[in-house]
Amino acid sequence: MSKSITMTLPASSEFVAVTRLTVSGIAARMNFPIEVIEDLKVSLSEACTNVVQHAYPEKESGVIEIAFHLHPDKLEIFVEDHGKGFNPKEAASQKENSATIESFGLGLGLTFIKSLMDEAEVTSHIGKGTVVRMVKYSPNPTIK
Amino acid sequence: MVPFKIEITHRNTLPVVHIAGELDIHNCKELDSVLSPLLSASTQTLAFNLAQTVYIDSTGLGILAHAARHLAKTQGSVLVICPKPQLKKVFELAGLHKKNVLLFEDETTALSNY
Repeated sequence: MSKSITMTLPASSEFVAVTRLTVSGIAARMNFPIEVIEDLKVSLSEACTNVVQHAYPEKESGVIEIAFHLHPDKLEIFVEDHGKGFNPKEAASQKENSATIESFGLGLGLTFIKSLMDEAEVTSHIGKGTVVRMVKYSPNPTIK
Repeated sequence: MVPFKIEITHRNTLPVVHIAGELDIHNCKELDSVLSPLLSASTQTLAFNLAQTVYIDSTGLGILAHAARHLAKTQGSVLVICPKPQLKKVFELAGLHKKNVLLFEDETTALSNY
């Protein structure tokens, strides 16, 4: 049986640091080594940064819902928003042509998540929102 | 926790931007506004000292990449003093170290030619 921790926070930039602190605490509790904790911090932070930057139209408030599932052998994290969603194919082509700071950040955030996590999937529906699921396997599993 | 702070010093004519604390989406605009006067001046090379930086995210790297791209137009470059392996890792993942962004372990080595 896995244990779960959920949190809902405003999709605004000052709270992204809170998600890094939270995942550090959870990962330390699960005995993840310090380098892996850093990878988890970057991945979760980037997923939340994407929500803050892109999910909700300007001047509209929204939330980020995060669920941590603490499995015996892995940490599974869902980051969900109820924003405008996007077409992953279009986002990929924009990344190549663009020269702006913001879009550099977007493509980079997903690159970080995909290279630092063991599993990472993005599901998005236009008008409904986006879910990022990511998994990191524990090098010291506590399977009973 | 190290509080966020940006400070600019000069090594002869070379501006050195010291960043302390966590550079992320919340405060990267501050770095952007500190850099714009430096980039509009006749700056050829810019140094960032990240010895006191504990975290840098994609938005912070985006601003450094933007500065590097700007300086590349005049064959300039960005020197980054980055002793922490976890920060070096994100620079490498971002592919920034391959362009005109040079990573150094310490300030003495990075600024030896200035």
